[in-house]
Formats: sequence, structure tokens, C-alpha cells
Amino acid sequence: MSSVFISRLLRLCILLFFQVLVCNNIHLLGYVTPLVIGYMVVCFHRNTSRISILLWGFAIGLLYDIFSNTAGMASASCTLIAMCQPALLGIFTPHDAAEDFTPTMETLGFWNYMFYVLLLMLMLNGAFYLLDAFTLNDWPMTAISIVGSAVMTTLIIIGIELLVRPRKNP
Amino acid sequence: MRALIDLIIKNRHWFLFIALEVISLVFLFSYNGYQKSVYFTTANDVVGTAYNVISGISSYIHLREENQNMELANEELRKEVYGLRQQLEEALQNDSVKRMPELPALYHTIPAQVVNSTLHKANNLITINKGEVDGIRPEMGVICSRGIVGIVYMTSLHYSIVMPLLNENSHVSCRLKDSEYFGSLVWERGYANVAYATSIPRHAKVKKNDIVETNGYSDIFPPGLPIGIVTGIDDSTDGMSYRLKVRLFTDFPTLREVSVITDYYSPERHLLEEMAVDPAKQDSILKSQEQKKDAEEAQRKADEEKKKKAEEEMIKADLEKKYAETMGAQTSEQKKTTQTSEQEATVKTDTVR
Repeated sequence: MSSVFISRLLRLCILLFFQVLVCNNIHLLGYVTPLVIGYMVVCFHRNTSRISILLWGFAIGLLYDIFSNTAGMASASCTLIAMCQPALLGIFTPHDAAEDFTPTMETLGFWNYMFYVLLLMLMLNGAFYLLDAFTLNDWPMTAISIVGSAVMTTLIIIGIELLVRPRKNP
Repeated sequence: MRALIDLIIKNRHWFLFIALEVISLVFLFSYNGYQKSVYFTTANDVVGTAYNVISGISSYIHLREENQNMELANEELRKEVYGLRQQLEEALQNDSVKRMPELPALYHTIPAQVVNSTLHKANNLITINKGEVDGIRPEMGVICSRGIVGIVYMTSLHYSIVMPLLNENSHVSCRLKDSEYFGSLVWERGYANVAYATSIPRHAKVKKNDIVETNGYSDIFPPGLPIGIVTGIDDSTDGMSYRLKVRLFTDFPTLREVSVITDYYSPERHLLEEMAVDPAKQDSILKSQEQKKDAEEAQRKADEEKKKKAEEEMIKADLEKKYAETMGAQTSEQKKTTQTSEQEATVKTDTVR
């Protein structure tokens, strides 16, 4: 079993615990709940097998659904961003980047990384909350939930990124 | 085939993505009540709309056949309507007038059955099985479901003799319907369903198939009862009036059920008319009326006296009863007191002993 797989598995467990035990209890203004599990998909490096990304994304979504009683919502959302992640990373990746380019705040730069994460989180939260509401009758509330959760998740991911991989001073 | 396999292998991540999304949605709709209900409602709507569209297309395709069938059905209905209309016209011409108009609520009838009748004599008579006991008196009108039959001639306790229209002595006041010209209906022997309406004025507009009915001038029949239909128009022998041949609605040979009009006959009116016709009778009639009045008054007085006597007797009987009851009660009390005194005496003697 490769070290990459183990490290991903470890990351998955930590994220899941953090999500279920901490983030699920955050209900800012009653609408905003961060979905930190998306960080798992964010971290896949360039040229990772798409099938691998999809399976990992589906797995973490499914595990989240099991622990949060949201059957199908997170798995569908995470599979969606897992499908979009390579294409989105391609937009922000520099031309001269290495084959195994890993999207971090250090490699992409703060703003690029933030936009990259924000877009992915908007997709994740958009899919999740739309599936949760399953109607557009109360679309302003749904929109607030999506945007608020996406922003908050992005901020938390940036915080995690700063915590795990502190920027080296030039 | 190889190209297809290559295509699948090349885009396998898409197939996997779709498969994973499908699995996720299956979970979503299986384990979330709200999403499940919304999904099924929407699915039902979609399926219903689809079925609607399909059935619309199908019915449009079969429209030609439907039209042909409808045209055939229309044709059959048209024929049926035509036939029924003809039947109705025939019925209107012949039979509809035979229906008996409903008598006004004021008049009551007694149903009776014909037990004997003659048809071929000059003065035919009909016997019915109701008589004086049933409230039938002479000169009451007799009708059947088709029209009038005749007039009660004689009565016994349980039977009555009716003088039908088929009697040379029968004269019934009649009129032409809707024209108010009246005459007299007579029977001149011969056919059992043909009579003649005489004395119809010359200026009356008469035509064949006009209906002849009672005019209500007599005190026997109320106005408007059907008698027959005009089948021929002749002049009377003096040429002053019409003599109409009338086919009678009443079918005398098969006549079985009849009704006697009981309370249209008015003795008072009859008396008044008699007095007007024959002034010589006035005194005798008035006398008889006075006698009747005296007799009635005497009867009334006698009844009143009887009533008074009966009341007095009742009061007497009541008083006697009450007296007897009070006396009985007193004696029983006395008996009781004597019994108790005796018992006390015996007790005393026992104690002394």
C-alpha cells in the first residue's frame, strides 16, 4: 500500500472527524455550516487519475452521509467537485508547473488558491444545499446558505492550509 | 465494436461519474422522506403529462374511425327519431285526446265495476256494483279513463243502473273544445261508438277532428271531460244548426272500470232550476222545504233533549259511585278500629294472666 494512499486515508479520517464533531455543530445565522470534507478533493495533485479522484470523492461524501444522516447529498456533491477538480486546477496551474503539481497556498499563491478553493466550495455547497432543499421556492435562503457556507469553508481551509503548511519566508 | 470499447475506455471517468451520481441519487431518494415524496410527485406529474400527450396523439390518429362510427350512430338515431316522431304524430291524431283530464280536486269519485251492460237496444243500460251504501245517488255522472260513460239512473243498496250515452233518452250538454259553442249529445241507435252533437250553431267554426267535451252547464258533469271527436259535419233537419257526427272516446263494448262523480251533483241547484222551470211547483216545493226544515229542527231538539238526559244520568251515576266509595271507606275504618281494640283487649288479658 503506497504512502500516498495511507496519507490520503489519514487525511480523510481527520477531516471526517473534524467535520462531524466540529463543523457540523456550527450553524452561523442558522444557515451557514461549513463542509470541510471538500478539502480532501482540493488537495489532489495534477495528473492524478480521474477515477481515483472520483472514488475518493464519492467515498468521503458517503462517509459524511453515514455520519450526518444526509444520505446521498454529500456523496453526490463530492463526486461532482471530484469530476470538476482536474479541469479547475488546470485553469489555475502555471504552464511550467511540474507533472505532479500539488495545489497549495504556497504553489498557487494566496489569491489563486483562494479562488480555486472558493470555486470548488461553491460547487460543493451549491450541490449539497440544492439537494437538501430540493426546491427553489425559498431560493434566497438557499443562496445565503450556499454562499455563506462556501465562504466559511474556504476560510477554514485556508486556515488549515496555513496551519498545516506554513508559508516559508523568502 | 473496438471503437466503441475504445470510446468507453477513453471516457470511463464519465461513466464512473454518472454511475456514482446515480448511486448517490438512489441513496438520496431512498433514505430522505422529503426528497422521495418530491421526486415521486414530480415523477407522477411528468408521467401523467406524458400519458396525456400520448393519449392525445393516439385519439387524434383514431379520429377518422371515431368519426365514421359517430356518423353511423347519428344515422341510426336520425332514423329512430323520425320513426318516433311519426308515431307521436299518429298518436296525437288518434289517441292522445282519449286521455282523461284530471278532475278538479273539488270532485270526488267512487270507483266501480260494470257487472252488466247492453249495447244493441234502443235504451241500453249499464249495471255497476256500487249503490246507495257507497254514497251513489241518481243523476250522478259516470266516467271512465277515456271519457264520460253516462248518468246514474236508479240505485239500490249495492248496485246502480247507469243510463249510458248509448241510450236514446240520454241528452248530455256538450261543447266544442276551444270554441265554447255548445249543444246536446244524443245517440240515435246503431253503432256503439257513434253519437251526434245537435244544436251546434251555424256560425260555429267546426271542422273534422275537433274534440267534443262536457260544458259543465249541467250539474252532472264538470266542464272539460272528453266525449268524442268530430268525424262528420251535417246540417240539422231544420237547417238552423249543425248536426255533428261524433266518434265516442269511451269504448262501451270493453268497458269495465268506471268512476262515479259523487259530489258534483247539487240538490239545491236542482231544486232552484225546477222552481224556475215550473212556477206551479213553487208552493209545493217551498212547503216541502219548510216541512223539511221543521222536521230537521224537531229532530235537532229531540237530539238536544236526549243529550241533556244522558248527561244528567251520567252525573247521577257518578255521584252514586262517589257516595258508595266514601261509605265503603268509612265502614272499613270502623272495622279496623274494632279489630285493634279487640287485639289490645286480648293482650291485656294475657298480661294479667
